[in-house]
Amino acid sequence: MGKEESYELGPRGQAPPKGAAAAKGRGRRKKERLEDMKKEMDVDDHKLELPDLEAKYCTSLTRGLGPGAAAERLLRDGPNELRPPRGTPECLKFARQLAGGLQCLMWVAAAICLVAFGIQRGQGDLTSADDLYLAIALIAVVVVTGCFGYYQEFKSTNIIASFKNLVPQQATVIREGDKFQIDANQLVVGDVVEIKGGDRVPADIRILSAQGCKVDNSSLTGESEPQTRSPECTHESPLETRNIAFFSTMCLEGTATGLVINTGDRTIIGRIASLASGVENEKTPIAIEIEHFVDIIAGLAIFFGGTFFVVAMVIGYPFLRAMVFFMAIVVAYVPEGLLATVTVCLSLTAKRLARKNCVVKNLEAVETLGSTSVICSDKTGTLTQNRMTVAHLWFDNQIHTADTTEDQSGQSFDQSSETWRALSRIVTLCNRAVFKPGQDNVPVAKREVIGDASETALLKFAEATVGNVAEQRSRYPKVFEVPFTSANKFQVSVHEAGERLLLVLKGAPERVLERCGSVMLKGQELPLDQQWREAFESAYAELGGRGERVLGFCQGYLEGPGEGLSAEQLPGEGLCFTGLVAMIDPPRASVPAAVRKCRTAGIRVIMVTGDHPITARAIAGSVGIISEGSETPEDLAARLRLPLEQVDYRQARARVLTGAQLQEMEPAALVDALRTHPEMVFARTSPQQKLIIVESCQRLGAIVAVTGDGVNDSPALKKADIGVAMGIAGSDAAKNAADMILLDDNFASIVTGVEQGRLIFDNLKKSIAYTLTKNIPELTPYLVYITASVPLPLGCITILFIELCTDIFPSVSLAYERAESDIMHLKPRNPRRDRLVNEPLAAYSYFQIGAMQSFAGFVDYFVALAQEGWWPALVLGLRPRWEDTREQELQDSYGQQWTFAQRLRQQYTCYTVFFISIEMCQIADVLIRKTRRLSLLQQGLLRNHILVIAIVFQVSIGCFLCYCPGMPYIFNFMPIRFQWWLVPMPFGILILLYDEIRKLGVRRHPGSWWDRELYY
Amino acid sequence: MATLSEKKTCSERMENFRRFVWNPETKQFMGRTLINWVWISLYYLAFYVVMTGLFSLALYSLMRTLNPYEPDYQDQLKSPGVTLRPDVYGERGLQIYYNISDNKTWDGFVTTLQTFLTAYTPAAQLLNVNCTSDTYFIQDTFDGPNKTKLSCKFTSDMLQNCSGLTDPTFGFPEGNPCLIIKMNRIIKFYPGNGTAPRVDCTYVGDDSRPLEVDYYPVNGTFNLHYFPYYGKKAQPTYTNPLVAVKLLNITRNEEFKIVCRVIGTGIISDNVHDPYEGKVEFRLKIDN
Repeated sequence: MGKEESYELGPRGQAPPKGAAAAKGRGRRKKERLEDMKKEMDVDDHKLELPDLEAKYCTSLTRGLGPGAAAERLLRDGPNELRPPRGTPECLKFARQLAGGLQCLMWVAAAICLVAFGIQRGQGDLTSADDLYLAIALIAVVVVTGCFGYYQEFKSTNIIASFKNLVPQQATVIREGDKFQIDANQLVVGDVVEIKGGDRVPADIRILSAQGCKVDNSSLTGESEPQTRSPECTHESPLETRNIAFFSTMCLEGTATGLVINTGDRTIIGRIASLASGVENEKTPIAIEIEHFVDIIAGLAIFFGGTFFVVAMVIGYPFLRAMVFFMAIVVAYVPEGLLATVTVCLSLTAKRLARKNCVVKNLEAVETLGSTSVICSDKTGTLTQNRMTVAHLWFDNQIHTADTTEDQSGQSFDQSSETWRALSRIVTLCNRAVFKPGQDNVPVAKREVIGDASETALLKFAEATVGNVAEQRSRYPKVFEVPFTSANKFQVSVHEAGERLLLVLKGAPERVLERCGSVMLKGQELPLDQQWREAFESAYAELGGRGERVLGFCQGYLEGPGEGLSAEQLPGEGLCFTGLVAMIDPPRASVPAAVRKCRTAGIRVIMVTGDHPITARAIAGSVGIISEGSETPEDLAARLRLPLEQVDYRQARARVLTGAQLQEMEPAALVDALRTHPEMVFARTSPQQKLIIVESCQRLGAIVAVTGDGVNDSPALKKADIGVAMGIAGSDAAKNAADMILLDDNFASIVTGVEQGRLIFDNLKKSIAYTLTKNIPELTPYLVYITASVPLPLGCITILFIELCTDIFPSVSLAYERAESDIMHLKPRNPRRDRLVNEPLAAYSYFQIGAMQSFAGFVDYFVALAQEGWWPALVLGLRPRWEDTREQELQDSYGQQWTFAQRLRQQYTCYTVFFISIEMCQIADVLIRKTRRLSLLQQGLLRNHILVIAIVFQVSIGCFLCYCPGMPYIFNFMPIRFQWWLVPMPFGILILLYDEIRKLGVRRHPGSWWDRELYY
Repeated sequence: MATLSEKKTCSERMENFRRFVWNPETKQFMGRTLINWVWISLYYLAFYVVMTGLFSLALYSLMRTLNPYEPDYQDQLKSPGVTLRPDVYGERGLQIYYNISDNKTWDGFVTTLQTFLTAYTPAAQLLNVNCTSDTYFIQDTFDGPNKTKLSCKFTSDMLQNCSGLTDPTFGFPEGNPCLIIKMNRIIKFYPGNGTAPRVDCTYVGDDSRPLEVDYYPVNGTFNLHYFPYYGKKAQPTYTNPLVAVKLLNITRNEEFKIVCRVIGTGIISDNVHDPYEGKVEFRLKIDN
């Protein structure tokens, strides 16, 4: 299994023209790229005879290139290293972070502040330092958030770095007949190089001679079995043939001499690297959402600012003042803390996921996971345990089921039969695998074994069921053995058993049966008649049909001394057949439940594997990817007794497509197949096809998560909306291309991720609603200030304190909110329709809750003014005299006279009072945002401890700002009277009650007008 | 997500916008049907009517709780501000720059003072009473007409040489100009703790040379019977007491910075954040 998997990187490099036709349908740019790759895949060096090769590369296979020719070629082809893609310069990336929509607005605002500061300073204005502070604060906000964003981006885009690390440092090259050690990047096409065990292959090389050379291609194909390399051409495809070794793969053992045929970016790995970097990083849904939303906010800010600029000019303010108003409105309206809030919320979830074995590299991927509607999963290791395990046995004409669970907690079979005793003895003896020493305390399943996958499975099975294999083996000392080869397809060993010799044999069942004359039933030998043969055939077919690897076992007794036995002396027939053992890489225990969960959550799970279709179908069936009762066209054909061609494919829920079938399909047909069959399995696919499958799913509007581990998966991982790499089996390139890494390689972890992703989407909505609300009570003071000419109720510095200091923690704490309902029973959100920030959310936050908060602020403002001597009626229209720095005896409503500085202190008191009002209302706001539908009492008022702490923190910060000495002249906060904290509280209670009524309506009348307008 | 980030052409965008403004299939105007617009408008109308009602109610009850005679708190009025007449502001604050020989340069100052003193003519002070005691004029009851309290007379003749009666040019042509210092009024403020606060003018930053001044009334005091102030409603005819400062022997053609402080217990004049609290600073330059 897996041995003959074909991993082609181009779309069928050596394939017939059909492959090219399939490629035509795709986008032109992509087509060109793929055509490019294909062209380069036309390597025929493996098929050439050595003299032809010599001629083609103008070199000598024995003496190598001359130094002149080598230098010339180096000049022509460039050094043998992977060229990093023409990336954007780092400073430009950083600059881009500083030039987003909101950032630009803030720059403009800061510039206006600075200009205003300059002009006012020139006029000797007392208050002008405020503008300078504000400009500095705004620039700081932009720069800090910019650094934050840059850091995030920097972390996620160093994919090429891992390819760079693959380049070997030194290579042994033959030039002019002499051996040299040179830097591998100096190699050129036509060089003759030597490699030995432990080296990395320095370029793509055609093997000229080899001694026991084996390479590890896992970084390229994900296939972990060592591959033999020898000079013979064994396959049409350059990727399959044994006489080509690839750049950056590891030579495990042996030595080889080879001719360099490709260097640098033209090597296979180089092309994959450029393909991976050529696939653009898809924008995450949350990034699109936030961009969309930021555009709207920026547009509205400019619109409001512009409108009031014009209004101010018309009313007769000087140009500079109008510009300052514009700036203030921008500052008030832009949610400065929002991006930070979103980032923090996402990273909190990322942290939570990391504890559950999902490491998220790209923060936004957390939410993407939540909107995932299709998961393209690998089979081996992700859905399965990645270890061969004995699953079934057939003896006494009956199929027995073995325990395949990871912790041996399953049910075992009846072990009383004599046949079982004989079979278990064969399993134990005819097995070359041994446990590594010193593992007596380790559970059997976890012990390390020396031996191949099936022998390991059998050894562990024997140890677990019979116990103490070593003792059993010592009781029957081995005298002779014939190892398994692909030619004879069986393995024999002869053991001393008292007087006689016991011959035990295992191998391919049909080859084993040929050698048997009898069969064992309950310990009795019976002749092997036609009935038995049929029973054998049906059992073999059934087990094979489950995708299991089946081995047959038989035994026989020999007479005489064991010394000097040879393979020819062994009996070729007349042995006694004891049974069949079937092995499979069993699914992980947690996977079926996880797949079921995906299904209830409306997520399609598609299996994409390089494995055999039958195995793939079997595993898909056992984990529930193909559910019980679903039929593939093949099943339908069998049931209806029709030839496969006559079956209506549309009636089949499930379908297994192989790479070969896929290759012949038009892309539209694939999209159609994905639409028709809800349950799909792709078997024997190449990594390139994985990319095509991902693209087809995306064309259906799905948000696709892809799992992968090999280097060759990296294009698909990057193309996917969320690429998930395996932490244990995954190569570095895959991990780099991925957005998320599963530390335990377990599919169930993805489902946890989906759950967290959905939760964070809901909670981000709440967080954003909370953050947006206060923009209105920040904005209205300016509007009233300009239109009604009252003393300014709220300063820009104060606004920045609300945005970036007091309200950050509560908005982040909403990320800790529990889900309101079982989010895994809902369909994934439709990224076109279910926006993060929708119209009801904005309208409700801005025009209802925000309005209430504004009213609260103004009431408190008027109270503070009136109680200090300025009645509302006097205050209206007072602004020009109030702000006149030369007016030192302005009379209040009681006839008292105020100097400018005294009025300024009063104005700061107003700022503080308005600030406190917003804070008090924001406490109510954060409480109502805990739920969107449920009553606050159903959710539990204090259950989110972080939120409670956040509220306490918010109040403490408020107290600190108000009552810390020195604040009035640094940040314009005044120590205010206690009762002014109380004034906004009724409005806070009103907000709580109003939102409860809203939620009640939404719960009672789903789908009603109320629900549509007021549920966000 | 190729499906979501498709690039739209300009005409497609325009078409989408047009459909958003008026969608003939669903009869939606800006994303809503007409009836829907009516409903939502009514809802918001009702919402804002209720909110405005609550706001008005809050302000109404606020006004009901306020004392009409004195404010609840005087947190920012710990100490009175002090002002100067004539009050001409230049680039660097109050400045009195003039040329003796050019009467156009000081005509403005004289007019300002004259206008200011019109509030202190006997006719303007008719309703106020003559006070003679040198203690605080404490009134616990409303002794005046129409539930008011009495205010003490302050007439310009109390400023003697600087009253503008004997010298209508206030000494400007002679180079010994009269300036008038006034203290802001604060309700129930008792300055000086029993002793009358007085004005004291000095050069700023030059203690060696005493500034020669005459103060009117004598000693430059604000008589205690003008305090406390009971507010606009209780004392509608109240006028601030004044102190006139006649500057003598000012060196010509030189700029001086002069500060006039009001000295008395409870009057703060060293607040760095308020240059007009308890004192007034001005620049003076008299040219020939």
